Amino acid sequence: MNTNSNAYTVIYTTLVVVVVAAVLAFTAMKLKPSQEANAKAETLRQMMSAAGVKPTEELYAAKNAEILELYADNIQEAYTIGLDGEKNGTLSVSKDKIELVDKLKPQNAAIKAGGEVTLPVYIFKSGIAVIPIYGAGLWGPVWGYIGINADCHTIAGAFFDHESETPGLGAKIKDEAWFREKFIGKTVEWGEKPAFRLEKNAEASGASNAVDAITGATMTSKGLDEALNVWFDAYGKLFGVAAFFNALGDVSLSEVSNSTEEE
Amino acid sequence: MNKIFEKGGKFYWLHSTVDAFETFLHVPGTVTTKGSHVRDAIDLKRILILVVIAAVPAALFGMWNVGYQHGLAVGDPRLNILGNWWYGFLRVLPLYLVSYIVGLGIEFACSQIRGEEVSEGYLVSGFFIPLIVPVDIPLWMLAVAVAFAVIFGKEVFGGTGMNIVNPAILTRAFLFFSYPNYMSGSSCWIHYKPTEQLVDGFTGATPLALDGASAQYGTGFWDLFIGTVPGSVGETSVIAILLGAIVLIWTGIASWKIMCAGILGALFVGGLGDLAGISTIPCYMQLLYGGFAFGIVFMATDPVTSAQTEAGKWIYGFLIGALCIVVRLFNPGYAEGMMLAILLCNVFAPLIDHCVISAHLSRKAKKLKTA
Amino acid sequence: MDKKLKETILNPILKGNPITVLILGICSSLAVTVQLKGALVMALSVIIVTGLSSLVCSLLRNTIPMRVRIIVQLVVVAMMVILVDQILKSGEGTYAIDKQLSVYIGLIITNCIVMGRIEAFALGNKPIPSLLDGLANGVGYGLILIIVAFFRELLGSGTLFGFRVLPAGYIPNNLVILPPFALILLGCIIWVHLIRQVNLR
Repeated sequence: MNTNSNAYTVIYTTLVVVVVAAVLAFTAMKLKPSQEANAKAETLRQMMSAAGVKPTEELYAAKNAEILELYADNIQEAYTIGLDGEKNGTLSVSKDKIELVDKLKPQNAAIKAGGEVTLPVYIFKSGIAVIPIYGAGLWGPVWGYIGINADCHTIAGAFFDHESETPGLGAKIKDEAWFREKFIGKTVEWGEKPAFRLEKNAEASGASNAVDAITGATMTSKGLDEALNVWFDAYGKLFGVAAFFNALGDVSLSEVSNSTEEE
Repeated sequence: MNKIFEKGGKFYWLHSTVDAFETFLHVPGTVTTKGSHVRDAIDLKRILILVVIAAVPAALFGMWNVGYQHGLAVGDPRLNILGNWWYGFLRVLPLYLVSYIVGLGIEFACSQIRGEEVSEGYLVSGFFIPLIVPVDIPLWMLAVAVAFAVIFGKEVFGGTGMNIVNPAILTRAFLFFSYPNYMSGSSCWIHYKPTEQLVDGFTGATPLALDGASAQYGTGFWDLFIGTVPGSVGETSVIAILLGAIVLIWTGIASWKIMCAGILGALFVGGLGDLAGISTIPCYMQLLYGGFAFGIVFMATDPVTSAQTEAGKWIYGFLIGALCIVVRLFNPGYAEGMMLAILLCNVFAPLIDHCVISAHLSRKAKKLKTA
Repeated sequence: MDKKLKETILNPILKGNPITVLILGICSSLAVTVQLKGALVMALSVIIVTGLSSLVCSLLRNTIPMRVRIIVQLVVVAMMVILVDQILKSGEGTYAIDKQLSVYIGLIITNCIVMGRIEAFALGNKPIPSLLDGLANGVGYGLILIIVAFFRELLGSGTLFGFRVLPAGYIPNNLVILPPFALILLGCIIWVHLIRQVNLR
């Protein structure tokens, strides 16, 4: 048979592509549930690390099923808010049907455009509220979860992650425990610009909302700084009000957000 | 040379080591017997010794400054000039010992292996290395860095005269990238013991990294010119370095073209920075800050790693000065850019020479055609 | 035949190593050798991809139209790479490593070793030798990766496979973590390799 004729070439390549596509489609379909379960458990690990439910190492040593259970046991409620700070949806927290807003990229774009957003707030039984942040690092996206104490002002914990920052430099935001521990006890000045500062020599100023940038990872630090401020700004309405009331009396975050919903 | 070290002798394998010491101590008795040759009293050893002599003022001042800065930091400026100098001398001496023992050890070993004469190139590098590192650098780090620089910067290329980058600068670069916490920031430039009480408002940052904050030392023009500021051991005093520059230029060892071009390059970019409002200091002050003066006088003019053609020297020097200020102004991560600028231009020097020569040849060819 | 087969397996691992002799696959060996765990997973992935791609292409070798053979090879390799990536992502234990290796698993497709072995060997040989040749080349690549990663993790973090082996007082060398140092290490390995080659002759 002439393997170099036009007809043969066209038929052959078509056949190869169809077969390959079929194989890939089949495996993708087969593996999708377990991939999604992995991704969800990863997000939950990061959120619970920020909320201080368990030490990060223990969370990463735990199996996916244990993580789901741990989350269901510790979560109080979860809902989404808009840029005006008003509640616009609830997220299920029951063990079999945990809902998350883990597509942060479109949310980030919507925040910047001032459009419709559903920003998640996860309130744990310890009173700590966890909110996500998202932005652009040096090579790819950086994101993270910030745990805010019940006073809605001080940071209880933080966890940062990235897609492809330089190992040993930008990747320190995830790899080095000391970096995320620096955020514990710092404050977020809601409504101020900037609400938080991640800059070179920022700690020397003595401000309570400042953390030093990572030496040698200028662009990653800059991206993280922007991510923090954009998202803190977006959450500022709700948390600013909550922090204000909290300073007056013992009013919790969920009470504030429920009251704004009723108005 | 003793018979047993000559070819066929018992200790022939040691001949390069013995030869090195013998020619270091005596003028060699061998003379050229045929063919044309240059009659000059100068040889590699004499050149190297002159470079070391030129760097002596900077080294002496650096030692004094170590003591002086320590006195300022603990609020105890009681020591006189000699006392300060002695204090600094005792701090810098271990750096010299490590630099020479490790560097020369490797140099001798490599020459033995290759069966060549030991070359004296390391005498100069070894003298410079302690001058361009912070005084408090742990000695084992310095030893590792020297070993790395001598092996990978020099010996793998074939020893003295064959290296692409300056071994002293490579030592510093190795330390800078390997142990950034010990090479930048505010805790490494001034020697003090953890138990000592420091003055109020103490900062260990160099003027370049200070960013306008107040410090226990002055940062005016004369402070920088004389060099009474913290920094790498030998880099702070512009006046001591100028003395060295005069010696080097007067004896014709270092190229004045590279020095001039470097200063022009720095002024050019610094001036642009001033005009554009990026820079916070007038451009001429850039020449006094950090390692610029030491780098352009002693490091950039290294005849092995710099450009060889006359026009090339102007381009090479200009690039070093310009790049240094570019790093200082535009890279928020690094306060100092001199080391990086020199390393980069070391690598580009052969290319610069190549371009200069081929441009020259094509001009000649054109002339020939028209004639 | 037996001797030839043995040569097919041993040559890419020792004498004709794809990294140290052919200088192929340098990019990924600089990028994924910061930690041993990542290097090991990367090595295994490459072994599987080179082996299976060579096998499939060898099976197809008499039917592939010459004019579009590169495209067909590319499709086969791409399929293998995507399969490996998907499987890594779906495993509970391998998910974190796949995230750490990020784009480099996908970039196996651009690893010249894979296409090089298909072009040079699989298209002209029977399936079993082709499979072995692909696997052996992957092993040769993996071997160098593991050596480089061993030194980089040991000196750069003081750990091996995440376990601390050097005393806690060891100050990690930051340069070792940066990609240029992998290049220096590769240079040293090639150096040692060449000395051994000369001695063998």
